[in-house]
Order: sequence, then C-alpha cells, then structure tokens
Amino acid sequence: MPVAEGKSVQQTVELLTRKLEILGAEKQGTFCVDCETYHTAASTLGSQGQAGKLMYVMHNSEYPLSCFALFENGPCLIADTNFDVLMVKLKGFFQSAKASKIETRGTRYQYCDFLVKVGTVTMGPSARGISVEVEYGPCVVASDCWSLLLEFLQSFLGSHTPGAPAVFGNRHDAIYGPADTMVQYMELFNKIRKQQQVPVAGIR
Amino acid sequence: MADVLSVGVNLEAFAQAISAIQALRSSVSRVFDCLKDGMRNKETLEGREKAFIAHFQDNLHSVNRDLNELERLSNLVGKPSENHPLHNSGLLSLDPVQDKTPLYSQLLQAYKWSNKLQYHAGLASGLLNQQSLKRSANQMGVSAKRRPKAQPTTLVLPLQYVDDVISRIDRMFPEMSIHLSRPNGTSAMLLVTLGKVLKVIVVMRSLFIDRTIVKGYNENVYTEDGKLDIWSKSSYQVFQKVTDHATTALLHYQLPQMPDVVVRSFMTWLRSYIKLFQAPCQRCGKFLQDGLPPTWRDFRTLEAFHDTCRQ
Ligand SMILES: [Zn+2]
Repeated sequence: MPVAEGKSVQQTVELLTRKLEILGAEKQGTFCVDCETYHTAASTLGSQGQAGKLMYVMHNSEYPLSCFALFENGPCLIADTNFDVLMVKLKGFFQSAKASKIETRGTRYQYCDFLVKVGTVTMGPSARGISVEVEYGPCVVASDCWSLLLEFLQSFLGSHTPGAPAVFGNRHDAIYGPADTMVQYMELFNKIRKQQQVPVAGIR
Repeated sequence: MADVLSVGVNLEAFAQAISAIQALRSSVSRVFDCLKDGMRNKETLEGREKAFIAHFQDNLHSVNRDLNELERLSNLVGKPSENHPLHNSGLLSLDPVQDKTPLYSQLLQAYKWSNKLQYHAGLASGLLNQQSLKRSANQMGVSAKRRPKAQPTTLVLPLQYVDDVISRIDRMFPEMSIHLSRPNGTSAMLLVTLGKVLKVIVVMRSLFIDRTIVKGYNENVYTEDGKLDIWSKSSYQVFQKVTDHATTALLHYQLPQMPDVVVRSFMTWLRSYIKLFQAPCQRCGKFLQDGLPPTWRDFRTLEAFHDTCRQ
C-alpha cells in the first residue's frame, strides 16, 4: 500500500482504517509482528568464501508462545519463545545484524469471518511503510479462496490491490499454516528494507 | 338413564311394562311354588295327581300370558336410544329446564363445529400429502382412526442396512469421506468431511437425518471426552449460515417410503459445497455479500447463490 501523495504514513493508515470501519469492520485490539536478522558468524564460514546465510527470527502477537526462525527460501522453524535465549547462546555461530530490527504494529479488525490487520512498518525510529494482512479463517487452502480475498481487498484497497502472493501458487492444495504468514511478512520486510518507500501488502 | 329414557317416549307403556314384569315374576315363582309343594292334601292318589296337573297348567298359562303382555308392551316402549341421530345425548333436548342450561344447543353447535373441523382437516391432509413434506411414513389422514397405531417401518430398519446405505454413499463421492459411529446405542452419527472445506456432523435416527451441524475443516468437532460434539455451532459465520441451509435441505428432501434416496439426495446436495469459496453467485456474479460467500445451493441445480440472491 503506497503512501498517498502528500500524506504521511500515519494519515494513510487512518484513511484505510476509516474505510474498514465504514465497511462494518469492528476493532479487536492490536497486533505486532517483529523480525530480527542474524548472519552466520565469519569464523564458521567455509574457506571457499561462500556467502553467509541470513536467518530471520520473528515473533507474531497472534502466536504469543511461538518463535519463528526462517531462512531465505529455506525452511521455517517454529519453536517456543525460549528460542530467543538459545540464540544468545549461539552467538558464536549467528550474529545479530546491527539495527536490523524491523516490526509492524497496528490494529486488528474483524469483518464477518475476515481478520484484517493494518500496521505501520517501522525500522528503527522511522516509519517505512504500511502492511495489510487479511486472513479468512474458514478456508484452510489458500488457493481456494484467492478470488474471494481479492474481491474483499478491492472493497477497501481499491486500485492498490496487489497480485496473488507466491503462497497461493506453489503447493497446490496444502493447508495454510502460521509459517506461511511469517514467510510473507519476511518477504515484505525484505522488500521494505531494500526500497525506501514501499508499496506492498501481504495477504494471507 | 332409564328414567330419562321413559320420559319422552311412552311413559304409560313403560309403567305398564314394569308391572307386567312384576306379574311375570310372581307367576313364575308360583309355578315353582306349586312344583315345590307337590301332591299334598288330597285323599286319593288320582285326585292328588289331577289337582296338581290342573294347578300346574294354570300356573304355566299365567306365565305365558304375562310374557306375551310384556312383549307387547316392550314394543310400545320402543328403542328410543337408537332412533335418535345423536343417540343418548339427543335426549338432552327433552330436558324441561332447557332455558337455564342450554346444554343441548351447545352440544349441537359443538357437533357441527367438530364435523367441519374434520372435513377441513381431511382436505388439508390431502393437500399436505401431495406436497410430501412429512418426514415419517405415518399417514395422518381420516383412515388413521381405523388403523392400528403402527410404528413407521423406516424407524426400525436393521443396523446392517443403514451401514450399507451409508457406505455405498461414501463410495459414491470420492471427495467426501463419511465416518459412521454409534456412541449412543442404535442411532448412528456421521462425520462427513468434504475435501478440505468443511466437516458436517449428521445425527441419524435409523435412516432419517435428525440434525446436522456444519463446521470448518480446521475446527474441532469433538468434545473434551472424545465424543462427537453435536451441540456447539461453528465459530465462523459462513458455516453457521451453511448449517441453517442444511437444516432447510433436510426438510426439503423428503420421501418417507425411500429414506435411502433422501440421504443420498442430501449428500449430493452437500457435496456441492466443495466449491464454497470458489464459486461466485449465479445471480450477482460476486463472491462476497456482507462478507459472506454464496452459502446457498439450489436444491435442483446445485448452483451457488447468496442467501439474499436466491429466488
Ligand atoms: Zn449474489
């Protein structure tokens, strides 16, 4: 979701939430997703000079007891929140990238069976973009309900509705899980990091 | 009612008949008295026999006479209770205190009213039978009065037959899996899983479907003690709506004589929900209306409609 011309991130978030409220969505508390980047420590790298892999450690307020560890294009590990302590112990192998912490915070909205989370993505002190997550609980297979989601997104995003995320294409009728959401947030955060002002929405 | 009976009909004849009965009784007892006394108080055997026979004959004659008299009188008294169309209750009209207790006119009105009621009920039952909305084979028509109360035969089908029908349906639809269990005795409960879309709990009574609850594929369908949870509803609005429609479908698919066909039709209809999230409304062409996908499926064509878009 690009920030509207001449308006701040804050104003655009307000615009969006107002549209949702007009639609009939009800406020249901807040949410927060954060992500920290680690790279493999230089000492453990092979002699051939291969690049160190990046690992992302993420938390999602929707799953307060879990901690997600993701590799780019790689597996997603779901662990207890104790995982954070483990990462401290593994300092020798994984080092936290400086000022890499990126997070999105915002409000949860419920509309019928849809769960909408509009958040402001911040990196350090500055707001870098807006994330929109839409979840449709009744359907467990993502590709089954894409057209339905698209119609819902258009109802409040208008022309800024994004294309189908990768999750919908691969794994034809696999059951959608929390890890799929986290992968999307990871991809979104990476895009935001690379660009300065970012027009992306994550869809579940 | 004996005294009331006599009042209207022929009081005099009735009184005479009573005295005739008394006369008959006394003449009969005289016959037995005579027989009991035997041949006494006569000097010669011949004289005794003669006097006894004459006396006995006299007595029998009088019995005969009294009997004839009683028969004549009883014809005069008649049989009032069977002549009146309202039978004994008709005699209420003869009550002299009519003005104070209008029982008879009330009775007549009630009778007319119940006649009409029966007539209209008969018409209604005929019409309803054509619509075949009934769930049991128990015909409620006028004839029900004469027939002994029979258990609807479809309620007492052997368990094996029910199992067979269900497993045949299970094999018919590959994307639908049906798990049958009998946690409470003979009544079967089905857990129907349709693709990765929804789960349906079906409570059966023999081959009749009593209740259905539709839930999401990822929702829990068991209670804490591991039994099928037949009471709690889905937490998603879309499945609550589908549950309502499924209940409507139960009432629609009715064929009391062929319950297996009913179950099969219901399951065929249910199967059309495999595209619950993928089929747009056949009327407005959209996916969502008030946040819900098209939750209605036409009973004949199985086409998808929003609840408010169906005809
Ligand atoms: Zn419609």
